Amino acid sequence: MSLLCDLQLRRYYHIPNDTADVYLFLQQHAIEECVAHYGEDNRETIEGYIDFVISRELGFKDHQLLPELTPLDLSWDRYADVTNVIIEYNDAIDYTASFFRELFDLHVQALEIRYYHAVSLDNIRAFVERFNGTTLKYIKLVLPYDKSQDLQLLDKLVKQYPRIKSLLIHSSPELRQDKIFDGSVPVVFFDRPVNSCTACGEIRANYFVSNLELFTESQHYNTCLNRKLSINLNGYIKNCPSMQEDFGHITTASLRQVLDNPSFQRYGSIRKDDIAVCRDCEFRHVCTDCRAYVEDPEDIHSKPLKCGYDPYTNEWEEWTQHPMKQTAIAWYGLKETNN
Amino acid sequence: MSQKILILSQSHLESTTDHVCLWMDYLQIPFLRVNGEDFFQFENLGDLPDNTAIAAVWYRRKINSYPVEYSLKQPDFHTQYTLKRFLIDEFNGIHSFLFHTIDRHKWLNDPITEDRLNKLHVLALARQHGIPTPFTEVVTTSVAIAALLENYRELIVKPLSECIFLEDADGDQYKMLTKTINSANLRMVPEKFFPSLVQEKIVKKFEIRTFYLDGECYSMAIFSQNNRKTKEDFRNYDTQRPNRTVPYKLPVELEKKLDGLMKSLGFRTGSIDLMVDMEGQYHFLEINPEGQFGMVSYPCNYYLEKKLARLLHKSISHEEEIHQQPQRKERTAAVAVFPGES
Ligand code: SF4
Repeated sequence: MSLLCDLQLRRYYHIPNDTADVYLFLQQHAIEECVAHYGEDNRETIEGYIDFVISRELGFKDHQLLPELTPLDLSWDRYADVTNVIIEYNDAIDYTASFFRELFDLHVQALEIRYYHAVSLDNIRAFVERFNGTTLKYIKLVLPYDKSQDLQLLDKLVKQYPRIKSLLIHSSPELRQDKIFDGSVPVVFFDRPVNSCTACGEIRANYFVSNLELFTESQHYNTCLNRKLSINLNGYIKNCPSMQEDFGHITTASLRQVLDNPSFQRYGSIRKDDIAVCRDCEFRHVCTDCRAYVEDPEDIHSKPLKCGYDPYTNEWEEWTQHPMKQTAIAWYGLKETNN
Repeated sequence: MSQKILILSQSHLESTTDHVCLWMDYLQIPFLRVNGEDFFQFENLGDLPDNTAIAAVWYRRKINSYPVEYSLKQPDFHTQYTLKRFLIDEFNGIHSFLFHTIDRHKWLNDPITEDRLNKLHVLALARQHGIPTPFTEVVTTSVAIAALLENYRELIVKPLSECIFLEDADGDQYKMLTKTINSANLRMVPEKFFPSLVQEKIVKKFEIRTFYLDGECYSMAIFSQNNRKTKEDFRNYDTQRPNRTVPYKLPVELEKKLDGLMKSLGFRTGSIDLMVDMEGQYHFLEINPEGQFGMVSYPCNYYLEKKLARLLHKSISHEEEIHQQPQRKERTAAVAVFPGES
């Protein structure tokens, strides 16, 4: 199968390869030429494909080819050496170290703060307050469910700190979704606990995102780890909290040294096109990646462990059940923590 | 002494300036951002940016809002408006002093031309450069309009200056947009009226917004035809069904002519509006020297903010070359920080 991505409206369409071939042919040829090429018998089918594109506002008919409509440039760049940060928050850690300050002076764009244990709103305020005056644009809070922290209080919180643009409430009694701050900030109530990072790295169709940022970055870099940095529960610096290797503690490490360390940068350049199986998958540029849990822990270019999709048969399977994955699952010790 | 890039902007609602500044910072290009709001912190003329410390100026915006509010003791609608106009003139009096104290060649766009850009003049100049423009007139009577409708099926009327926003007593806002006149609604037009700009209506296939940057044209096609609501003017956004905006390459001939037009105005950057009619012909509409380019840069993935930062950086090297020959070595080193890109 192939994928037709509408990066502007953030949609994608899963289409058969034959359909994709027709669209590619139509890039260079008139409709009549296309019918002549595939045969009059296929006229209706081809017209159906064209109507589909028009109905989704992906194209229009004209009396000539328009070579001036040039292909989108797929280059990717950002004005920061680190664009995304994840912090597994821990009260016992001192977040005032110079490492921490320098990190956010790099113009980090997005920050996820994960609270695995109960936390007061005042405590959250005090921490979020530190980012006033930085160029950080987006904060996502991951919090445990607390009945007393109702939507009204959360609404007050995000109005006070407009950098908070999304919330995930884990260990919640039910699975539901709400919006606060006049509908601009989503609050997702998740009915399972998020108490460690072993739950991360799962690949599912509803995690796919079709947008310009991901699609272009995915052409050149790893979409899970490129220019990302994490600080785990014990204050150690990692590529992502799920990775084994650390690059020192935030109270003592030098930011420059971490960023200049080739081991730290090792995963950033692993593209989907370099990864076994993914390189043949139609979802590769709308899918994120995971290098922490892979099918063959010995091979850094193997497919994400927690993906159940087979691009050769176009079928989804439950990854935890897959016989080929059992060794890796045991290797990471994922059995007990799997939900 | 190392020189800086001066960025004149405003403190709020200026994501384009913010974005360029982030790139400047990342690329380690020294700059000084002065927002209109900062003028209220200056103690005297000596606090204005100094010519010798500045290699180049990017003049983006004057100010968003004055940090203080004034009203007259007996306010009524008219005097309040007069006071507002007066304060704007006062502010411009100090702000545009910079146009004279900082060498003209350092400005990315000639600031005086930019401040006084005249739509009719730009259209005439475009025609001189061989760029097709829609038929344009300024008329004062319905008879004149009726006569024009003999030759043009439909006309549009739009301001010679800029569109305005109006607010009524309840705070509801009204936006001025382009209007169509044809034989069907001609009777609504008063016999005599304020001198008004009318233009032949182009039935458009799509619109083009080009961002011109130092000789290069970065263009984007805007498809709004399917959306009845936005047929007239794409600024009238339809949030449910946004316009399709995609990269576009103008014919080289036209790009050359636009380059000539921009150069004749002394502009190294600016936003150019064009239209493509049903036959595929181009029509030049106008230039906005300080036009938003984020709306072109993002959907077309052009990285214009980064390109502009680099262009400003080149000006520093250029100034150093003129004034500081002995420091040649240092300059070469500064440029080599970003190998592989010009
Ligand atoms: S095979 Fe790779 S690219 Fe395809 S869905 Fe799975 S993880 Fe994503």
